[in-house]
Formats: sequence, structure tokens, C-alpha cells
Amino acid sequence: MKLLVIEDEKALADNIKSYLSTNEVICEVAESYQEAIAKLNVYSYDVILLDIMLPDGNGLDVLHFLKKEQSEAGILIISAKNSLDDRVQGLELGADDYLTKPFHLSELNARLKAIYRRRKFQGFTEIKFNEISVDTNNHEVSIEGKQMELTVKEYELLLFFISNKNRVLTKQTIAEHLWGDNVDFLDSFDFVYQHIKNLRKKITAAGGHDYIKTIYGLGYKFHNN
Amino acid sequence: MKRVAIETDYSLAQNMDLLKESIKEGKPLDALQNQKTHIVKVQSIQPRDTLYKYAFSDTMAMHPYFKRLEPHRKMVITQRINGEYYRFNMIDIFLETDDVSGGVVNVMTRLFFGLGLILLVCSFLISSWLFQPFQKTLQKIKTFNLKNDEEVSFEVTTTKEFKQLNGFIIQMTDKARRDYISLKEFSENAAHEMQTPIAVAQGKLELLLETPNLQEEQLPLIQSAQIALSKLSRMGQSLSLLTKIENNEFTARETTDFSKLVNQSVLTFKDIAELKNLTLESNIEENITLPINAAIADILVSNLLKNAIRYNLPDGWIKINLDKKQLIVENPGHPPKVPTNQLFERFRKSNQSGQSLGLGLAIVKKICDVNHLKVDYVFEADIHRLIVKFPV
Repeated sequence: MKLLVIEDEKALADNIKSYLSTNEVICEVAESYQEAIAKLNVYSYDVILLDIMLPDGNGLDVLHFLKKEQSEAGILIISAKNSLDDRVQGLELGADDYLTKPFHLSELNARLKAIYRRRKFQGFTEIKFNEISVDTNNHEVSIEGKQMELTVKEYELLLFFISNKNRVLTKQTIAEHLWGDNVDFLDSFDFVYQHIKNLRKKITAAGGHDYIKTIYGLGYKFHNN
Repeated sequence: MKRVAIETDYSLAQNMDLLKESIKEGKPLDALQNQKTHIVKVQSIQPRDTLYKYAFSDTMAMHPYFKRLEPHRKMVITQRINGEYYRFNMIDIFLETDDVSGGVVNVMTRLFFGLGLILLVCSFLISSWLFQPFQKTLQKIKTFNLKNDEEVSFEVTTTKEFKQLNGFIIQMTDKARRDYISLKEFSENAAHEMQTPIAVAQGKLELLLETPNLQEEQLPLIQSAQIALSKLSRMGQSLSLLTKIENNEFTARETTDFSKLVNQSVLTFKDIAELKNLTLESNIEENITLPINAAIADILVSNLLKNAIRYNLPDGWIKINLDKKQLIVENPGHPPKVPTNQLFERFRKSNQSGQSLGLGLAIVKKICDVNHLKVDYVFEADIHRLIVKFPV
């Protein structure tokens, strides 16, 4: 996946680049509107991460440019402004998703991958992790061809884990991914454990391996031993 | 009194001179006499006759019109006219000082009141005309609102003082408006600008978690830092939300189906309540609409539900009741440590050490104030009850 990060805050761009750069993801950074347009004129990207507020222009202008060029890249907008107007305008101009600062890098990663899947394969994708395969189109999970019954939250949890495989996910990150802003007021996110336990039980019962590793006091990691 | 006597004496003497002239001309005495004047021809001078010298005295005499005794002045003098002696005996009424002062007081009082009334009416008319620019200025000040983004302007006046006053008010309101706008911009910008550095710090911590060979005792440190950061971020967002509500950025252009909205919120939070082992009961009347912005109404209901979840007892319950008059959210809990109405203040919490920001109820109150709803916090019999009353 080729990713262009358009973000003027260098430290934040660095964070994103070091977190996302893997064998599968090539990440480039543009720190201004001009630089972004220059890069977009020459190269093509699968997904573009766009900060709305740029020092030399509005990020929405980049959207106009991409629309004019009939670009096929997926676009994720990030903004410090949690304003409904910006969100609606961004999505109307062809952005795929909108994320408000501050965000968890794991959340960003999951959203970028979802956009990539939708754009690249028009949704007809099957994500495979060893014996587990997830059909994101029909929201179905099967282990070695055998279909599993998962609740919506369990399905989302599994997909979040697979998108962020081999990464540490804190309970807070998981809770916010599953329930959004509605849980930010809680003192403890221990209730996430209940869902993890159920998911773990269902996977092992269906004959899968237990890939969810508990990191004591912190969170979980989905990894392939 | 003395002065009146002198005047009367003078007039008597004058009259006497006139009579003397008439006698010289040979007029008969009878024609000259009347009730006040007696002239007698004397043959010889008696010792009591004061020749040429006036003899004045006070006496009482019958007043011809009033028919009563009145104080009079009497003059007796003997004169030699054409070689013969005549005794003049004349009286005249005193000028009545009581009557004079009474008359003067009477006239003056009427004049005074008359003039006073005219003065009052005139001054009222004139001042209302003169102070017209001042009244207009007062009206402008009365209707001046910092939040209305318009400059104050006055009609041109020719009065120097009013010009100064208007100039001063324009200066003052302009300054107040500029300060208000810059304060508003500051609070908006502070909240936004804060989010990027928080995002950077949060990202760094996540990268730190990814580094190999991390010691187990380091993990809680990282997590604590992450939780503190997310609290900081939420605080910024909540404060900026409060500012936005204050600035009337969420004006109700439409009516919101409140029943539907509460139902949706209950659905969202039922899941979370169950995770905390709380039972959620709701009794929601259908088709209740309110003239309130939907986004802001959602925040109102969410904050009430979040509050009920957060300050509940273990294995507790939440009851939500919505009817035409009000929305009630109640839950059991520990008694609040501060008076319940103070919990609507910013950063005021029952438990200062908790993770809560202390802004949830301040936001609820602000939303209610802006939308003409009344909110009450009642604690009785170990039950917290938040009541939002709708306008009738």
C-alpha cells in the first residue's frame, strides 16, 4: 500500500510514518500544500492522509485537486477541529473517512486499511490470518472454512486485532475503537476483558489458535507465535 | 404700622390743604363736609386748638361700608383762612396691613404655583426634546450585546457633551467587543491547537509501546501518561464545546424528535451500562418534540446518561423517564459531597480525585440555559435525580 501523509506538524508525520511503515506499507510525507500537489502530480498513491489545516492552503483544496484529477486514491482526513461542517464538507468532496486529533495510531492504521480494502478491491476482500479468514463484505468470519457466529462487537474486535497484528493495543484504544467517544468518560476499561474472553473462547472452540496475548495491566496483542 | 400711620397722616394733611383752598375760594362749609371731615368755624382760639400744628391720634370709628368699628387716624388742626379760624377734624381709615399682606400672599401664592407649573411643563417638554440624543444613547447601551457582532453607532448630535459621551461609549464598546472576540478566538484556538501536540505525544507513547525489550514495570507508566493525555484532550474539547454553546453556534433551526433521540441514546448506552453491570430501564413517551438542535440535544442526553453510569453503585440501576413535561434520569449513588446545585459549576465534582473532568453537568446546564429548559439536581433517599423541564 502506498500512502501519502499530508501533515505540516513534522513530529506527528514522523509518528505516523514510523508506526505505519512496514513491509506492506510505503509511506511518504508532504509537509505543505505545495509539496503535496507536487507529489500528487508525479506519483500515484493508494491512500492519502490529509490534514485539513495546512500552513499554505486549506486541505480541502487538495480534495478539489484530487477530484479534478479523478484520482482513485482513498482519502482519510485528520483535523484538530471536531466540527461537523468540516466533516460533512470533507466527506462530500470525496473523502472516505474523518478522524479527529488526537487519535490512536492503531485506530488510524485500522481505518487506513479499511479504506484501502474498499478502494482497492471494491470491498470484495477476504483477510486471512493463518487459519482465520474474514470476509469484510459480508461481515463473516470462518476458521478453516468453518463459519463462526460472532456478535458485531466481537467481529469489529477481531478485525481491529488483525489490522493491528503484532502491535500492543491498550484497553483504552480497544474500548474507543468499539464504542467511540461514548466510553471516554469511564475510569476503567476493564470491561473490554469480557469481549476479549468471549472472542478467545469462540476462536478456540472453532479450532483456531489463541493469538490474543494479554499484556498485564496494559492491554492485548494479537500475534503469531 | 408706623409707616402706615405716616402715610395716612400725609394724606390727611394733603386733604386738609385742598379743603383750605376750597374755603379760601369761598365754598360753603357744608359742601366740604362728610363723614370723615368736620370743619367748624371758631370765633376765637381755644387753648386746645393747635394752630398750624397738626395733632394726630389713633381712634376707632364706624366704617361706613363694613358697619363696624375699625382703627382710624384722626387729625385735628385749626387754621386761619381769610382772617377767620377754622377747626379741621378729619379721620381716615388706616390701610389694613392684614388685608394687604393677605392679598399679597394670596396673589403671590397663585403666581408662584402657576409659574411653577408652567416651569415644570416647559422643563419637561424642553428636556425631553433636549435629551433626545441622550435617551437614544441610553437605549443603545441597554440593547448592546457583546455577542451580537455589530458595532454600536449613534445619530449625529450637536451637543458637545453628548458627542463626548457617544464617542466614549463607542470607544468602550469597541474595546469590549475586540476583547471579547479575541478571548473567544483564544479559547477556540487553544482548544484546537492543543490537539496536535497531544496527538504527537500520544503517538510517541504508542511507538514506545512497540519498542522491543520493554520492561514490565515501564508499561503502567506509559499507560498512565496515555490516560492523562486523553483527559487533557477531552478537557480541551469540552471547553471548546462550552464556548460554542455560549456563542450560540447551535441554534435551533428545527424541532428535534426528542423521543427518538432519547431512545437512540438509551440503546447506545445500554451496552455500556451492561458492561458495568447496571440495569437500564426506560419509559419514553413517543412523539415528543422540542425546538433544539439535534446535535446539542444528543450531547445533553448523553451527558446525563454518562453521569448516571459513572456515579452509580455496583450492580445499580438507571431509570429514564420522558413525558411531555420533563426528562428524568435517576440512579442510586453515594450522597454528593457538595450541594447539588453547585455540581452544575465548571470543574466542580463530588469526588475531586476521580478521573471525571467536572464539565459534564456544566455542559448540561449551559445547553439548558441556551434552549430555555430548566434543569434540577435532586438527591433524596440515596437516589440522584436529574430533571430537565421542558417549556410549557
